Amino acid sequence: MSATREVISTGNELAALAAIDAGCMFFGGYPLTPSSEVMHVISDLLPKKGGVAIQMEDEIGGICCVIGAAMSGKRALTATSGPGMSLKAENLGLAQMAEVPLVCVNVMRGGPSTGLPTRVSQGDILQSKNPSHGDYKSITLCAGNLAECYTEVVRAFNIADRFMQPVIVLLDETLGHMHGKAMLPTPEEVEAGIVPRKTFDGPAEEYHPYECGPTDPAVLNPMFQGYRYHFTGLHHDKNGFPTEEIETCRKLIQRLEDKVEAHKDEIESYEEFMMDDAEVMIIAYGSVSLAAKEAIRHLREDGIKAGLFRPITIWPSPAEKIKEHTDKIKNVMVVELNIGQFHAEVQRASSRLDIEGLFKVNGRPISPYEIVEKVKEVF
Amino acid sequence: MARTLMRFTGVGGQGVLLAGEIFAAAKIKTGGYGLKTATYTSQVRGGPTVVDITLDDNEIYYPYANDGEVNFMLSVADVSFQSFKNGVKEGGTIVVEPNLVHPSDEDRKKWNIYEIPIITIAKEEVGNVITQSVVALAIANTFMKALDEQVLIDTMLSKVPKKVHELNLKAYELGKKYALEAMEKGPTK
Repeated sequence: MSATREVISTGNELAALAAIDAGCMFFGGYPLTPSSEVMHVISDLLPKKGGVAIQMEDEIGGICCVIGAAMSGKRALTATSGPGMSLKAENLGLAQMAEVPLVCVNVMRGGPSTGLPTRVSQGDILQSKNPSHGDYKSITLCAGNLAECYTEVVRAFNIADRFMQPVIVLLDETLGHMHGKAMLPTPEEVEAGIVPRKTFDGPAEEYHPYECGPTDPAVLNPMFQGYRYHFTGLHHDKNGFPTEEIETCRKLIQRLEDKVEAHKDEIESYEEFMMDDAEVMIIAYGSVSLAAKEAIRHLREDGIKAGLFRPITIWPSPAEKIKEHTDKIKNVMVVELNIGQFHAEVQRASSRLDIEGLFKVNGRPISPYEIVEKVKEVF
Repeated sequence: MARTLMRFTGVGGQGVLLAGEIFAAAKIKTGGYGLKTATYTSQVRGGPTVVDITLDDNEIYYPYANDGEVNFMLSVADVSFQSFKNGVKEGGTIVVEPNLVHPSDEDRKKWNIYEIPIITIAKEEVGNVITQSVVALAIANTFMKALDEQVLIDTMLSKVPKKVHELNLKAYELGKKYALEAMEKGPTK
């Protein structure tokens, strides 16, 4: 997407605006700091375009009504923060199992539990990989600047419809609340990029939503249009009816994994910043990557060739790309606002246990100088 | 321009956020970069609040002020002044509301501290306490000469309802007047 439109706003407002431009017609949720502005803004905008925004009794109700709205064929959004993600977890699992596309924005704050409501954190990285029990392949995108609070929400809607499953977009308190300039694509360009969800238009008696290729998503026609299917969180057959038939169960869960795994290249996204000649690789994402970029400027002034690798799609992680870099670059450090949640993924991807880390979990941001100091200390 | 870092501090509910947004937006309108971040506690009213404003001609990545780099701070609550004063570089400028903020003699040695009764001005001279953020905006820009005044005023007017335009213009003029007087007198010792 091009970046031709200048908008001065906050990350939360941009996320809401993105949903509107991406054709979202339904929002269901419950306000939770630091995500509340997503709900405030979309509650104002949606009715003006004929959509619906509803404040439910809690975060669980929020995602439940979003699942229902999505089953009607419309694009639907919910937004929350960590404690709300914990509440939504069970129904994110339901949407994974029944293959309902929806977007869930999580503006991360300090945790666990109610944690630090107004403070920044990146503590939900692992939660977003497996919010619910069971096997499935979560898709999680992570905005790293104001513009991406918009573009990643747009991308999330497109990916959700393509893969027929929930897509989580991670913001954090800093990005959600910071106010500045974002260069965005035009709404027309966003609209032109929307690929409608697949539907089946043959005879209704031949409609089997869950009968699909081993790496394909289900084809869920909008409800109440003559194409019937059964909706359940239980293992189910081609029509959605519960079954314990051995091969059907195995194939279903394997397909939930493989529909994403086989098409990872469609989802993968990352940024390389000053990586061409880098001898020190910093891996950071979200708002921490802003501090990292500033730190890299300082480090280069001091003659240290540092670069940034920033995953934008966090799950599935860009593991091959990480390995490509870590095979060549000795000095690697992950900087994040948790105690090494993505660090562990970098260790896995790189097959190296000597990856350095700079972590913080007191609700305060990591400053560029802390990164500079740590790089000079450990490398 | 070199990077300008300003910090507005108060307690939750005083409306220090708006001035930051106006500064950032006005700088962006002139073709540069502006960022505002706010940090506050989960105690929405009464907790210390800090707004960092970064203005630069070049792209800004990290949105917070690094400790010791803030050029200008304005404070309307003692709890916030005490919490955030160390972000200001030595010899930097701090404007305080003297009825509410109590700097020590040591503070006055370390920084150039000016006293302007911001809240009293808003409440009694402008006639509405809510205008204090515009009084603060005028004071900050008069001290820092960060932005073209007309651009700042136009941006400010675009962010407040039309029916209070005159009131806010009055607030801006008064803020500027008091700032010029304070600058003339010099920092308190």
